[in-house]
Amino acid sequence: MGEANGKSAGAEALRVEDLHKSFGPLEVLKGVSLTAKVGDVIAMIGGSGSGKSTFLRCINLLETPDSGRVTVGGELIRMRQTRAGHAVPADQRQVDRLRARLGMVFQSFNLWSHMTVLENVIEAPVHVLKKPKAQAVEAAKTLLDKVGIGDKLGHYPSHLSGGQQQRAAIARALAMEPDVMLFDEPTSALDPELVGEVLRVMRQLADEGRTMIVVTHEMGFAREVASDVIFLHAGRIEEQGLPESVFGNPKSERCRQFLARLL
Amino acid sequence: MIDFKGYGWVFVEGLMVTIPVALCAGVVAVALGLFGAWGKLASSTLPRGIANAYTTVVRGVPELVLILLVYYGVTTLLQDLLSTLTGADTRIDIDPFSAGVITLGTIYGAFATEVFRGAYLAVPKGQIEAAKAVGMPRTLFVRRVLLPQMWRFALPGLGNVWLVLVKATALMSVVQLPELMRMTDVAARAVRMPFTFYLGASVIYLAITIASMIAFQRAEAWANRGVRRA
Ligand SMILES: Nc1ncnc2c1ncn2[C@@H]1O[C@H](COP(=O)(O)OP(=O)(O)O)[C@@H](O)[C@H]1O
Ligand SMILES: [Mg+2]
Repeated sequence: MGEANGKSAGAEALRVEDLHKSFGPLEVLKGVSLTAKVGDVIAMIGGSGSGKSTFLRCINLLETPDSGRVTVGGELIRMRQTRAGHAVPADQRQVDRLRARLGMVFQSFNLWSHMTVLENVIEAPVHVLKKPKAQAVEAAKTLLDKVGIGDKLGHYPSHLSGGQQQRAAIARALAMEPDVMLFDEPTSALDPELVGEVLRVMRQLADEGRTMIVVTHEMGFAREVASDVIFLHAGRIEEQGLPESVFGNPKSERCRQFLARLL
Repeated sequence: MIDFKGYGWVFVEGLMVTIPVALCAGVVAVALGLFGAWGKLASSTLPRGIANAYTTVVRGVPELVLILLVYYGVTTLLQDLLSTLTGADTRIDIDPFSAGVITLGTIYGAFATEVFRGAYLAVPKGQIEAAKAVGMPRTLFVRRVLLPQMWRFALPGLGNVWLVLVKATALMSVVQLPELMRMTDVAARAVRMPFTFYLGASVIYLAITIASMIAFQRAEAWANRGVRRA
């Protein structure tokens, strides 16, 4: 098994401590913590509205957590309080730098529609990491071959199927050589026959030893690929453990009910 | 061929003023429109208030009144202000060309503000989030993702603003700017052939409009690359 980014397995890749987040009066996250070691694949499951997306989005500060700590590769994201009492990042440049090390894959792909697939993939390496363009193009071609759309370089996103768009989005995230990949229900927007091609790519990434946090409703994937499974309910972790124990013998009644409904 | 009695040159001279005034005013309008839209969408109240006041005032007062206000009013105001400050009698003259650019730019900047505001709101938020998520700093994602997408939604509206702006340059004849309308007027009176000359001017304005429409269609096709037609 490969070691992603030359970091040895067992080292801490991501730590989230006691994350709280409210939208107005609605408390969506009520203290969620998680630690991912290099090479971990953590599957996050839970009902709609339980706060899974909000949790992922707080990790890279697409949402600003009200309190809690996020540490990426040992570096704590520094926050401060405004005079009005809101938490905001203390240093936006630190946030930008750490975001570049967290690859995010969205449910709705979010490819840049005015750029071709190749342009989407080289955009951030060239403009954020300041890689030479030729080198970025070479790396992008390799990645696009790897996700199976090496023949779609010059296509615009709207001319691809959902499965192809999501694989392009995964390639775009991988092009940054991130330390951790965050997936937010990457297959939920896809027609059923296209789900497999995306899961295959994700499984391959897991096999390469990439650190991944995957919010998913694909229980087969979670059971077979995840090193850890977290069941989130109403903004709290209700159940956490190895896939065998969460799926085979859940301790929480809510988790049992959730899984029973899916089967 | 229509006989302009040797006065055909007035059209050429007029166009040499009309087109630069329109282009310069267009640039001012786009710049003000971007600022205005930014103000309207800002989360703090001050820029929002300024932007709202700007578009309300400009859209609520006739163009002609604004032109006279800027040309005579602002000059007088500045003169009085400087005279009071320096104690000496100061004279300021805005030349009609600058007055035209400033006034028309300000007026159509208010319309462009609405166009850009709508265009911003039309950009899929997920694409901006994707840009943030790869670590693009604000200036970078505005330049690389937000603005290119905004053009797509803004171009049809900007095209309309441009067409109205071009025609509004004719209003500048009231402050003696020697643009197409003013020059036509002079010639029409000189040889007493109003119909011939105003018809000639109409055809020229129409030609500018058609050329502009073609240019905007091309620009839209380019900005919409990658977008599937429904
Ligand atoms: N930007 C927002 N503003 C207000 N409420 C939100 C926002 N984002 C999410 N929510 C609410 O927070 C709750 C959790 O949402 P989410 O994290 O998307 O859940 P999940 O991904 O588990 O389905 C939902 O009730 C949702 O309506
Ligand atoms: Mg969600």
